[in-house]
Amino acid sequence: MTIHSLYIFDRHCTCVYYQDWHRTRRPKPAAEGGLLPAVSQDVSAKSATGSNPNSNRNTLTSNTGIVVAVNEQPTPNQLLQTTGPPLTSTGLAFDEEAKLVYGVILSLRNMVRKLSGKDDEQFLGYRTNTYKLHLFETASGYKLVMLTDPNITDNLRLVLRQIYLGPFLEYVTRNPLSTMDSKEFGIDNEYFRQSIHNMVSGLTGFN
Amino acid sequence: MTGEGTKAASAITVLPPTIIMAIYGLWVINKAGGLVYQRSFADGLAQLTSNEYLVLAGTLHGIHAITSRLSPMGSSSGAQVIEGESFKMTILLTPTGTKFVLLTSPAETSAEATLQKVYEVYADDVMKNPFHTPEMPIRSERFDSRIGILIGNGLTTV
Repeated sequence: MTIHSLYIFDRHCTCVYYQDWHRTRRPKPAAEGGLLPAVSQDVSAKSATGSNPNSNRNTLTSNTGIVVAVNEQPTPNQLLQTTGPPLTSTGLAFDEEAKLVYGVILSLRNMVRKLSGKDDEQFLGYRTNTYKLHLFETASGYKLVMLTDPNITDNLRLVLRQIYLGPFLEYVTRNPLSTMDSKEFGIDNEYFRQSIHNMVSGLTGFN
Repeated sequence: MTGEGTKAASAITVLPPTIIMAIYGLWVINKAGGLVYQRSFADGLAQLTSNEYLVLAGTLHGIHAITSRLSPMGSSSGAQVIEGESFKMTILLTPTGTKFVLLTSPAETSAEATLQKVYEVYADDVMKNPFHTPEMPIRSERFDSRIGILIGNGLTTV
């Protein structure tokens, strides 16, 4: 069981948060203006300028055991090159990838509703031979999407619900500095990122 | 009077668990995304028009292509199982690009095996039929009846 990545979309169809753990195929950094600020330092166009010790880039670096020069300010392209051979690119910019993820879950949700004939039918997720997608949708229209190993047996929607009830409410909803629903900013902040990381890395079998 | 009432109530509480395993429908989608075969079995899902089924099959074809691009770990086959609350869709993609889709209840365990058998019947009765035009809707009585025998009314008798 491995957790690959977490996307959070708001009700305006935009990606407001992204975090990943074990990905061997990574997206290219988002195009300038393609992604809101404060979604993830890891994939935004200005990813290299931040040298925040709690940033996801550093987390990822320590996990994969590859050293990225911290004092320098590499361009996003150099950053991708220094991450070594095991990492390949999906060939997609991150903003494009996020749009595809949103498109897939929205289309599948509509398809599932249409097929079942019930308006409140929930789409839970899908499985391929290399990954599994889990979706949890809140009443306020936030969609939490998690990509994991396909052989996962636990119900990850419960974990997504816990992320919403715990870190999300605590560090985003109750955070006066966080601008939710603004269409201009994502919801990323250090505490939120760190507490999600603690929660996810504490799951059984996270490796 | 009261005796009848309790009987009716107990009948209602006992019935539902017997219909947990059900096959609702079967689709065959050609490599271009066109629906070439659609058949419904057990009741439980909405009854849609053939036009709506065509649209859904086309959508599924597109989504399937996207899901294989989203893989975080190496290249992916695309979606194999799509889960909703009250049903799931199991997809078998053949090497030639034809997709077999089985709509079942979430608890159905034999969906993959059933699809494999459907594929065999398809190979025997559709692909080997000299009058069948590839990529066109399947109009074969033999295929129809063999699928009927394989799946029946879609309800597993436990």
